[in-house]
Amino acid sequence: MNTMQLLQLSLDTASMRQQVYANNIANAETPNYKRQDVAFETYFQQALENAPQAKPGEYHIPIPALNGNSSTIPDVQPTIVTDETSKVDNNGNNVDLTSEMTNLAENQVRYNVLVQDVTDRLQRLRTAIQGS
Amino acid sequence: MFDSSSMNISASGLNANQLWMNVISNNIANANTTRTPQGGPYRREIVNFAPSSQPTSFQTVLGQTIGSQDGGVQVSSISQDTSPLKLVYDPTNPDAVNGYVQMPNVDISTEMVDMVTASRAYEANATAFDAGKQMEMTALSLGR
Repeated sequence: MNTMQLLQLSLDTASMRQQVYANNIANAETPNYKRQDVAFETYFQQALENAPQAKPGEYHIPIPALNGNSSTIPDVQPTIVTDETSKVDNNGNNVDLTSEMTNLAENQVRYNVLVQDVTDRLQRLRTAIQGS
Repeated sequence: MFDSSSMNISASGLNANQLWMNVISNNIANANTTRTPQGGPYRREIVNFAPSSQPTSFQTVLGQTIGSQDGGVQVSSISQDTSPLKLVYDPTNPDAVNGYVQMPNVDISTEMVDMVTASRAYEANATAFDAGKQMEMTALSLGR
């Protein structure tokens, strides 16, 4: 996976998270509904830590053109997990509207940052092509 | 993965809470209704929420087959509150039996609390809808 594909996957994750949080908010009053979340960054971090470390003098993130191999960015997919542990209301629902709204806002900012990053990368590419 | 977009999910939340609000308004409006077409005093109505699913729709079956699921919420049913009716002493009321009238089991303070809850839930869904819309608008600006 290269950086652009990783950014794409992160955008997909943010989009999926938006749907999951919207679903939690929509079901804030549904009896016995358990809130859901998307697990990605933690898994990705773990995979990065378990990945073989580069030795001194080696590229930490290989450049595909140099060695044709970019597999040190681990291939991790976002997964929807159900939160069974947090405090449960009288009606068996564990959605906390305040924290869902916070999650929603944070996710929106994260999405905007990712879009900005992709745009900047494409802009650099365009500059390199046009030479100005 | 979800089949419907986040805006569809939020829209289902808006619809469900709108309906809840209508039922609350109906309860408050009928807080003193002692004679209904079905006979007897008005009984408080309760909305029951359930996660959205349309088991008969082709889209759902296809979605389940390819490993996606529908998101959102729906009002699964509107049921009557079976709690006991209030007995009020009012011999002048034409519906009185032995001087006592059966009044609806609507408690105004409960309805007001529900109304605030429904209103806040509606606002939360509206905010989520807007956030989803903004994100899709941002996606349109990719690469510009």
